Amino acid sequence: MSKPHDPDPAPNPFSARHVRPGAIRFRFPAGKSAEGLLERLGQNNWQGQIVGPHGSGKSALVAALIASIERNGRRACLIELHDGQRRLPVSRRRMSAFGPGTVLIVDGYEQLGPWGRFTLRRFRRRRGFGLVVTSHKSVGLPDLFRTTTSLGLAHEIVRDLLGSEPSPVAADEVDQPFTSHEGNMREVLFDLYDLYEQRRVRRQR
Amino acid sequence: MARSFRLYEKKRGNRRTGSRKLGSAGEAVFFAALLLLGCGGLAVLFATWVVPEWRANHQFARGICTVLETQVGEKQGDDGALYRPEVQIEYEIDGVTYGVSTYDIHTVRGGGYGTEREDAEAMRRRFREGDQYIVYYDPSDPYVAVVIWGSSWPVWLSMIVPVSFVLIGGGGLVYSVSTWGKSAERRAAIVKRAAQLDPFSGNGASKPDFPHVPVSTNITDSPGTKLAFRLPVAGSPAWALSAWLVACLLWNGLVSAFVVIVIGGFLEGSPDWLLAIFTLPFVLIGIGLIAFFLRQLLVTTGIGPTLVEISDQPLQPGRRYRLFLSQTGRLKLNRLELLLVCDEGATFCHGTDARTETRRVCEQPLFRRDDVEVAGGVPFQTECELAVPAGAMHSFQSGHNEVTWRILVKGSPARWPDFERSFPVIVCPSVNGKSDR
Amino acid sequence: MNEPMVTIRFDGNGRAYQPGETLSGEYRLESIRREDVKAVELSVLWHTDGKGDEDLAVHDFRRLSAEDGDWIDARSPGRFSTVLPKSPLSYQGVIVKLRWCVRVRVFLARDREVVGELPFQLGGVPAARAQES
Repeated sequence: MSKPHDPDPAPNPFSARHVRPGAIRFRFPAGKSAEGLLERLGQNNWQGQIVGPHGSGKSALVAALIASIERNGRRACLIELHDGQRRLPVSRRRMSAFGPGTVLIVDGYEQLGPWGRFTLRRFRRRRGFGLVVTSHKSVGLPDLFRTTTSLGLAHEIVRDLLGSEPSPVAADEVDQPFTSHEGNMREVLFDLYDLYEQRRVRRQR
Repeated sequence: MARSFRLYEKKRGNRRTGSRKLGSAGEAVFFAALLLLGCGGLAVLFATWVVPEWRANHQFARGICTVLETQVGEKQGDDGALYRPEVQIEYEIDGVTYGVSTYDIHTVRGGGYGTEREDAEAMRRRFREGDQYIVYYDPSDPYVAVVIWGSSWPVWLSMIVPVSFVLIGGGGLVYSVSTWGKSAERRAAIVKRAAQLDPFSGNGASKPDFPHVPVSTNITDSPGTKLAFRLPVAGSPAWALSAWLVACLLWNGLVSAFVVIVIGGFLEGSPDWLLAIFTLPFVLIGIGLIAFFLRQLLVTTGIGPTLVEISDQPLQPGRRYRLFLSQTGRLKLNRLELLLVCDEGATFCHGTDARTETRRVCEQPLFRRDDVEVAGGVPFQTECELAVPAGAMHSFQSGHNEVTWRILVKGSPARWPDFERSFPVIVCPSVNGKSDR
Repeated sequence: MNEPMVTIRFDGNGRAYQPGETLSGEYRLESIRREDVKAVELSVLWHTDGKGDEDLAVHDFRRLSAEDGDWIDARSPGRFSTVLPKSPLSYQGVIVKLRWCVRVRVFLARDREVVGELPFQLGGVPAARAQES
């Protein structure tokens, strides 16, 4: 029978709290920044879309953008829509409080049904608040940013997560899951979680 | 770790990236606004409806009046004409004669209108010109008089809206204030204290014996016939079967309407080939649904219910228990087995994905037999022993994570698909607190 | 002056406990001036880790607040003692892990916070392994 575990084993660097959106800093390509995006948003009448495939960092970019929005004196209101959520989980009464100084960010905009999108955009026109959405494909708003992943970026993220401590998983082991998941960083990190756990158990035996 | 916090940052989901106080302030303002709106609405409702009705019912004096004339009053509303009954009456108080147009207290106050003229006519016809009726009048102002009194139910129904605003706003404000600027640990401690005050917690106890271990009353409420407890099955096949039946009926019901039209056209000698071709794939899907449903029905009735009973609940690591299995039906099984399994379940929201992943961490065979024949009316029955592994993790449940234990019955019928029935059990930590090894 | 920090120590230097046992120890505020301390919160809590979103529950919670008149001496260690519950036990699973710890959060002037944490084990559940399918 194996002995009770160490009360302070090294935490899995790929566990949920380390890899959730916002926990991993969004890495802007050269020449881009959150402030630059904000400026572009203002030029587009405070509406825009962030488009990218699954696990490409849209939610992480939203986290960076929110901080920038609020540094510039506006209010950011984030709504995250998950699978199957066809309606905005916010009442009209609450949306009535939005005005030109507010930017509503809908993460997962494509979950909304056509009627939900229509009413939201109509409400936006009436109340004058800003609207930023994330989606896997274009939804007809001005492009704010297109997120992509690359193997180099994946290496960088994994190196940051692993830190300097010795680890049963090496940064360059990201290649195979990156290829098999076609660049979906979320799935890559889930795979690395499992790999870390398997190797940790083997070490303990 | 020491860091300064930026003032203007936003809470995201259930993670905080900066100042809590600003977020809490926003919440408090929102709920305070709801509370004010609700209180205002209630106040208006009381002032315009409840209080006048109460005064008319309790403080007005009684007299006798003569009806001079009745009519239906009309006015234009936003959405069309509005109507109300009006009764012209004459009555005498202390030698003074009063003549007013009235009906009930709302009419006197300028309201009492409805959208239906017929309703107003029916109310007007309750009074006949020239007849005498009881009148209630305000002693302080005898010109205020009514011939209809009592409480109107729409008044009370309309209170639902402002009352709900008050409850939501008040509750939210209390929550916001009580959790204002508090750390995660302090908020969790407040929630824990509130849960302990819950008068409806299991068995009336203020603290569960084993926190975050699911309660086993669902299991211990069901006595067995051979052993102490009968285990409830998770996910009865009857529900799945009912769902397929509903789907089948709905689909074929819709499609049959088109089929009738198509066949009617052929019979009348004017076939609609376009409609026939369009309807054909839907008919094929409908036939497929019927076939699938019938197959599921055969499988479910053929396999029959599975009963599992256990000698004691809840279970503890390192202890042994007796299990009884009864499988009914009319089938031949290539293999029938019983297992004890433990699964971890983790739910996570990443971006727009909300997923639950499970991982099996224990699978212990308890019983296995090949070539089992279950005859109609004679269930296959057997008993076996279950030993919970020493040092096993107990059942656990929290918001996004769980550890669950189950007894699995797996069967491989000769001609039908394999089936698996799951019976949840609860494993508690050992009584002496130590892992029995 | 060094970085402000909180150190925690269990009596007897123990790190493994059984349900029903008394967990006791002390905490020290290091490189923190007494006049800077607005409040100190001590929690005995468990939280989950792994692939699922984090859940957290507090078993014991104490708060000392200078605003409420509590005396907080940053130079002397603070003591704590609590009887540990019967569950949930510490668990090193595959996708679900459950960790117990003592967490001390010090609220300082100018909205700063310092947090110290020391994990401990409750119970003796061995690490789990995924079943090969």
